[in-house]
Amino acid sequence: MNQNLARGVALTAIALGFGLGAFRYPIGQFERAGPGLFPLVVSSFLLLIGITTVIRSLLIERQPMQFQFKNIAIILLSLCGFALLSEFVNMILGIVFLVFFAMLADPPYSIKRNLVVAAVLVAIALGFQQLLGLQLPLF
Amino acid sequence: MDILHNLAFGFEHALTLQNLLFCAIGCVVGTLVGLLPGLGPLATISLLLPLTYSIPVTGALIMLAGIYYGAQYGDSVSAITMKIPHASSIVACIDGYQMTLKGRTGLALFTAGVSSFIGGTVAIVVLAALAPALGEVALMFGPADYTALMLFGFFCVSFVTTGSLLNGLAMCFIGVLLGQIGTDVNSGVLRYTFGLPFLADGVGVVSVALGCFGIAEIAKNLDGHEDRSPFKGKIKLMPTWPEFKRIIPSALRGSVVGSALGILPGGGPVIAQFAAYALDKKVSKYKDEIGKGSIEGVAGQAAADEAAARTSFIPLMSIGIPENAVMALMMAAFIIKGIQPGPNMISGHPELFWGLVASMWIGNVFLLVLNVPLVRYWLSVFKIPYQVLFPAILFFCCIGTYSINNNLEDVYITAAFGLAGYLFLRLELDPAPLMLGFILGPMMEENFRRSLLLSRGSFSTFVTRPISGTLLALIALLIAWQLLVFFKRTTKDVKVPVAVEQ
Repeated sequence: MNQNLARGVALTAIALGFGLGAFRYPIGQFERAGPGLFPLVVSSFLLLIGITTVIRSLLIERQPMQFQFKNIAIILLSLCGFALLSEFVNMILGIVFLVFFAMLADPPYSIKRNLVVAAVLVAIALGFQQLLGLQLPLF
Repeated sequence: MDILHNLAFGFEHALTLQNLLFCAIGCVVGTLVGLLPGLGPLATISLLLPLTYSIPVTGALIMLAGIYYGAQYGDSVSAITMKIPHASSIVACIDGYQMTLKGRTGLALFTAGVSSFIGGTVAIVVLAALAPALGEVALMFGPADYTALMLFGFFCVSFVTTGSLLNGLAMCFIGVLLGQIGTDVNSGVLRYTFGLPFLADGVGVVSVALGCFGIAEIAKNLDGHEDRSPFKGKIKLMPTWPEFKRIIPSALRGSVVGSALGILPGGGPVIAQFAAYALDKKVSKYKDEIGKGSIEGVAGQAAADEAAARTSFIPLMSIGIPENAVMALMMAAFIIKGIQPGPNMISGHPELFWGLVASMWIGNVFLLVLNVPLVRYWLSVFKIPYQVLFPAILFFCCIGTYSINNNLEDVYITAAFGLAGYLFLRLELDPAPLMLGFILGPMMEENFRRSLLLSRGSFSTFVTRPISGTLLALIALLIAWQLLVFFKRTTKDVKVPVAVEQ
């Protein structure tokens, strides 16, 4: 995939998303601007930049795009798992899950090291709760 | 002597035991973060923002400022000893690392420490003298001028930090649009919330910062998987007298360059370092040695770095417009603490302003003491493997986001911005301008709508007012110049097909 073209397409898509969305709110006149006016103006500028980037990408050399799906997916899943477990069970379990799942992204995998890291982080969380007064639902 | 009187007043507030403690914590955490890979000052400040809720205003801001300039210093230590280029210390890698290769690490670190101290001291004098004066200028600004100034800031930041005007501007505008999410203050209409109740107050600044700078950065580091070899060399700190004498002129030059460039829109430590290095290469007595590991090559840029880190507070505190992404985040911190930075801040909260200025000098002393004699202990930080570090950073991101509203839904928003930030990185879009746009966005809309209201819907107000007219003319010049450069380069490429674009 051409990185420059992908960037142009992404910017254009974001601009269209916000720009067309702005029409759902009253635009108003310039002297009495409605809530839709400013996002419309800004996304028009962004649309201009997006289209320019697309055109420019056709004029200059292609650049391959690097994208690795695995690591970012593991990290996002470990964050969501943390939030879910903290909400429905408790935060200590959430922290343990966060450590054990996130470590998948950086092999070699070692259960012993994970346990140590998780224990230290739980201890820090306890410290935050007791000493700094953060309201963490640890248990 | 007004300044002396004011500074004495500031020291009175900064030298309380409590504020000294916060300053020290800020410097230590900042240095630590600067040394470690994968956490910049932006991510750290947003991580610690929730922790400052229970701290008094002055102490909280002193601590956050300490993190910022401490991180700038820590960056240069890792650059000198191991050639780990953080975004903000590329220049320190050149001569500093060359000195390490020659076995003179200690001298390089000493030079960086002393020069930073000199740079910081000069910058504080500039800050104390200039900020109140500039605050009076700011009172002449109308809403149209503020709108134009913010737009001008976007252009400068895009141009300076990302090198590509188009990409940087795009990120600024995306940031502004993200800032539109939530309730419109003028009409009460909910914008872009998709019916989700937790979006009614808008997206949290901490979620955006941690997602784009913390989580995206971790994923990128894991993709790259670089092995770092810890520094094992010996460190002999004390220089000889002739060596010491070489530090001073270069450090003073760097301080002046850094102080000046720190004030300009889009300015800040990075550009100041490059400028100071280039200046030393032109005028220094030892210019032939620069690039091969000379004292001047380290001293000038280190002084400029620290000076610019401090003078970049001037536009924020006197005009009320942050000039780069870190300052935008500082502004968010000010507002969370109930202080509106701007022309009225100095007169309205003198103890805060002068206390902060004085604390910056105290922080200077802390950094010198912390870093020059104790630097070898700091370097042991690098023995922590990334496998231990990154789950810890993730944990702090989770706790940081959660504690703002004690709300777990914010963690999902942070994760979403982590994905967005990662995509931006892979598309070579720098997320720093996004941060600036995100924080300035609501202010820009307010001023834009107000200036149109005052002019009864006529856009000519932006051109006819002298301040905004000048700023818009500068923007037009910048665009014209960029277009010229681009077309010159593409036509050249057609003629000489061998030439490969960088």
